[in-house]
Amino acid sequence: MNLETLIQQLSAIERNTLQALANGEWQSLSQLVEKTGLPKDSIRRSMEWLNEKKLVEAQGQTKTNLEFSVSGKKALENGLPEIRFLEWVKKNSPNHIETAKKNSGLSEKEFNIGLGWNKKHNFVSVVKGTLTATGLDEEQEFLEKIEERKNALYSFEQKKELNSGFETEFLQRGLLSKKIAVERKIRLNTQGTQTIPLLSKIKTRSYNIRDPVPELLVGKKQPYIQFLNQIRRRLTELGFVEMDSPLVTQEFYNFDVLFQPQNHPARSWTDTYQLKQPQKGKLPHPKIVKSIKVMHETGGVSASNGWQYAWEEEIAKRLMPAAHGTAHSARQLVKGIQMPGKYFSIARCYRPDVIDATHLSEFTQLDGFIVGKLNFRHLLGMLKQFALEFAGTKEVRFAPAYYPFTEPSCQLIVKHPKLGWMEVAGAGLFRPEMIENLGIKGQALAWGIGIDRLAMIRLGINDVRQLFSDDLAWLRKQPMVVP
Amino acid sequence: MPTLEMSKKDFEKLVGKKFASRKELEEALWKAKTELEELNNDSIKASLEDTNRPDLLSTEGIARELRYKLGLQKKIQAYKTKKSGITATIDPDLKNIRPKAAYAVAWNVKVSNEFLGQMIQLQEKICQTFGQKRKEVAIGVFDLDKVNGNVRYFAADPKTEFIPLEYKVKMSLDEILKEHPKGKEFACLLSGQKKYPLLVDSKNEVLSFPPIINSAGSGKVTEQTKNLFLDVTGFNQNKVNTALSIFCAALADRKATIGSVEIQYGTKKITTPSFEKKKIVFKKDLIETITGMQKNDSHWKKRFQESGFETTFKGNKIECYYSNLRQDILHGVDVIEDALISEGYNNIPLEEIKLSVIGNESPKSLFVDAIRDACIGMGLQEVLSFTLSSREKQETLVGLQKETFVEIANPTSLNTALFRKTIFPELLAFLAKNKHAVYPQHLFEVGKTLELDSKSDTGVLEKDMVCIVLSNRKTSFSEIKSFLQAICNAFQWHFSIQETNHPAFESGQTGLIQIEQKKGIIGVLNKATRDNFGLEIPVSILEIEL
Repeated sequence: MNLETLIQQLSAIERNTLQALANGEWQSLSQLVEKTGLPKDSIRRSMEWLNEKKLVEAQGQTKTNLEFSVSGKKALENGLPEIRFLEWVKKNSPNHIETAKKNSGLSEKEFNIGLGWNKKHNFVSVVKGTLTATGLDEEQEFLEKIEERKNALYSFEQKKELNSGFETEFLQRGLLSKKIAVERKIRLNTQGTQTIPLLSKIKTRSYNIRDPVPELLVGKKQPYIQFLNQIRRRLTELGFVEMDSPLVTQEFYNFDVLFQPQNHPARSWTDTYQLKQPQKGKLPHPKIVKSIKVMHETGGVSASNGWQYAWEEEIAKRLMPAAHGTAHSARQLVKGIQMPGKYFSIARCYRPDVIDATHLSEFTQLDGFIVGKLNFRHLLGMLKQFALEFAGTKEVRFAPAYYPFTEPSCQLIVKHPKLGWMEVAGAGLFRPEMIENLGIKGQALAWGIGIDRLAMIRLGINDVRQLFSDDLAWLRKQPMVVP
Repeated sequence: MPTLEMSKKDFEKLVGKKFASRKELEEALWKAKTELEELNNDSIKASLEDTNRPDLLSTEGIARELRYKLGLQKKIQAYKTKKSGITATIDPDLKNIRPKAAYAVAWNVKVSNEFLGQMIQLQEKICQTFGQKRKEVAIGVFDLDKVNGNVRYFAADPKTEFIPLEYKVKMSLDEILKEHPKGKEFACLLSGQKKYPLLVDSKNEVLSFPPIINSAGSGKVTEQTKNLFLDVTGFNQNKVNTALSIFCAALADRKATIGSVEIQYGTKKITTPSFEKKKIVFKKDLIETITGMQKNDSHWKKRFQESGFETTFKGNKIECYYSNLRQDILHGVDVIEDALISEGYNNIPLEEIKLSVIGNESPKSLFVDAIRDACIGMGLQEVLSFTLSSREKQETLVGLQKETFVEIANPTSLNTALFRKTIFPELLAFLAKNKHAVYPQHLFEVGKTLELDSKSDTGVLEKDMVCIVLSNRKTSFSEIKSFLQAICNAFQWHFSIQETNHPAFESGQTGLIQIEQKKGIIGVLNKATRDNFGLEIPVSILEIEL
C-alpha cells in the first residue's frame, strides 16, 4: 500500500496521535493522552493501529512506581502511628504495656513504631512493663517533625511527588511500596516521519472496511425456549388448544383420574416427589370425586369391574410436583372439554432422579389428547403425522407399549437420518373406565412426545443439562433456532 | 422396564421353533410385548414393555405367549395338578404381619445350571415388579425331600433361631434383620412388628423367614435337587395365588409335575395352585369402535386365539375365556389390544384425523413471550434455570431467615429441596458461574415462583415472574430503573416505587414496585450479598410479577 492510500485511511484519532508524535521522541500513553486530550482507550487502540500500519516503532520500558500500602493509607486517614501512640499514652498514663497494645487501636507494627520513636525521644518511658508519658518540652519540635512527614504523605497522594529525603524511611516503615510497571512507548519511524508533512494535504478518503470491529453483545431467547415456542406454534396450527400446566398438582389428577390404583407401585415414594408442605389440596365437585371413586372400586358405569379396593379421598388430596404431563390432560377432562377437540400442554415435570448427563429431576413433557369419534387407526395416523412434524421423518414403526391409563397403547419409533431407530412418542386410547365415568361420548387419543430428546437432537447437544445451560458464553454463541 | 436374559437355544426349545435371523426373532418378540435389546451368539437380552404382565416375566412366559402368537398353541395352555398330600396351616396371628400364603410342589424337576439361573430370574423379577420389592409378593423355593411332612406358617418370637442361607451358624430372627445382608435389605418390610412370620415343617425345622430369607437346610436348592416345595407370601390372596400359578406354569413348561397343597385358614380351606380359566364378556361392536376395522367374526376369532383367548361369539356378545396367569384383563379393550398386537400394529391401515377445530396458545404463554420480546429488545440474554432450588440459595445467601417455602418431602439432594420463591438468587448463582465471560452481563428469565397459599386448590400460589439482572462495573439504581420504566412503557403499565429494605440490597437503593395489583422489587445488590455469591462486579436487580 502506498503512503497516500495509507494516509487516506487514517482515522481522526490516528491523525491526532501522529501530530502529537511529530517531535520524534518516545512517548507514553499518558503523555499522548495529555497532549491530545483524547480518552485513554482511544489512544491505546490508536497506538496499536499505528504500530500495525508500520508508522511507528514501539518499546516497553520498565518504570518503578511508588504506591501507598495499606498501612500508608491508614496513616493518611488516621494520622501517623507515633503521634497516635503518644496521644493515647498521654491520655492513659500510666498503664501496663500489654493493656496499651490491646486498647490503643494500633496494629502490632504501628505500636512498635510508635513505641520506638517515643522512647527514642524520651517522651515515654517503660519501667517493668509500665508505660508512662514523661511530658518533655522537646515535644513541640518532635511534633513539627511529624507534621513534615504528614505533609509529605499528603503531597504524595495529591501530586504523586515525594520529597526524596523520606522515600527510604517510608519504604522501610512500610507506608509505601514499590511497584514495577512496564510502560509502552512509541515514536515515529521513517515512514511515520514522512507522513507528518502530508497529513494536512491528504484528507481521509475511506475507512478500511476490512478492519475488525468490536463484538456486539446481543440478547437472544434461550435456545430451548425458542425450540419449545416453535413446537407450541406448530401444534396450534394443527388445531391444538394449549392447557394450563401448574407445577404442583393433587394426586387426584396425576393418578386417580387416570385410573392408577392407590397401591400402584408408580405412586411410591421412590418414583415421584412428594411435598412436605403444603401436603393436601382440595378436590373438585363431590359428584366428580364420587365418579372417580366408583371407577376405581367397581368400574362405575363402565363395563369394567375396576380395581376392587376401597378408594380413599385423602390419598387423592395429597399434593405433588406434577410427575407427567398427562396430569394436565386429566385436569382438563375433569374441567370440561369441547367435542370434538384437540388439547396439548408443554409442562415442567418432576421426578426424583439424580441429575446427570441423561437425567434431570426437572424436565419438560409435551402431552395432549384428541377427542371425537376416533379409533386406533386414527391414533396410528396421528403418530405418523407427529413423526413428520416433530422428527422430520416418514420412516416409522409402531410397537406395543403399556401405560396404566391407555388401552390399546402404542409407541412410535422413528428412523432418524443419523441416529437410527429411536422411540419418540407414546400414545393410546384413554381407558373406557375413564372415558365413560367422566361422561365423554367418543374416544380420547392420548399422546406424549419425548420433547427433551428431540430438543437435544435439534440443538446438537449430548448432555441433557445443557437445555438449562448455565454457561453464558455458550448461550451467546448459539445460533438462532430456525424452524 | 424389566430386562430378561435368555439362552436362544433354551428359548427356541420352549417355543418349539427356531428363529433363523435376528429380524425374525425381533418381530416375534414384539408380539410378546418384548423388545430385543441384544443378541450375542446364544445370549438374548430383551426388555418387557408391559409392567402389567407378570406372566411374561420369564423365558417360559414369553415362549408361551409366542406359542399362541405363532399358532403353535391353539387352546389355552392347560396345567394339571396332583394332590401332594401336604397340608399347610396358617396362624391367624399373622393378620397384621403378613397374613396370606400359597404353596405348591413340583416333582421331577430337571435342575441344571441354566434352569437354576432362569428360576432365580423369574423369582427375582416377580418379587421386584409384581411383588413391589417383596412387599406384596415374596417367593421361597425349597428342596421338597428335606421338608418333613406338613408345614405351619405362624407369627414367631423374634428370638427364634435357625441357620439362614449363606451362613453356617444359627441366628435369631432379630439378628438376621440386623446382620444378614438380605435382612438389612428387607428389614423395612417388618418394621414395628413384635412377632415375625416363620414357616416350619412338622419337625419344627425352619424352612423360611418370609419375606427375608430361607434356611440353609431345605432352602438350599442345587443341581442335585429333584423335587421342589414352593412358598409365596403376601397380603392379598389373589396376588399371592397369581404369583404361585405363574411360577408353577413355568416349571410345568419345563416338564415338572405340579402338586397341590391344602391350606387351612382356621376353619376355611383352600387348595393351591389353581389353573382355572377366567371369563370376561364384552360387546362385539366394541371391536370396531376401538380398532376402526371391519372384519368378520372368524377373522377376530383367529386373532383372539393367537393371543391365548378362547372366544364364543353369540349375537353382539363375545364370551372370552383366558388363563388365570393373567391379571390384566379388566375390560373388553384389554382383550382387543392383544388382538391388535396379533394383527401386527404395522399391518393396520392408518387413517388421517379430520376434525375442524381451531387451536390456540394459552393467553399466559402469549403474554410471557411478549415479555421475552421486550427484554430481548433491551439487549438482555435469556436464561433458563430450574424451579427446584436449595434453602441456601433462596434464603441464607440473600440474607433471609425462617422463610416458608413449598418444600419437597423426599428430595434427591439439597439442591432440589424446595421450590424457588424468587428468581433473582438463581440468576446470581448464574452470574457466579460466568465470571470469566465478557461483561456487561445483562440477563433475564421469565418463569414461575411458588408460595404457600391456603386459598388455592393446591395450597400453592404459582406466580409468573420476570427477573432482570444487570452486572457491570457502573451499574446503578438509575440504570435498572430505566429498564423498569422501559418495560412498563412497552406494556402501558403505570408503576410506583416506595423505599423498602431487603437484606440483599443496598439500603437507600431498594424499592418496592407496585404495578396495579402486582408487586415487585428493584435495587442494587449490596456488597455482603455479592461476597456471598463470590461476585466482584456490581449487580442491579429487577423482579416483577406478571
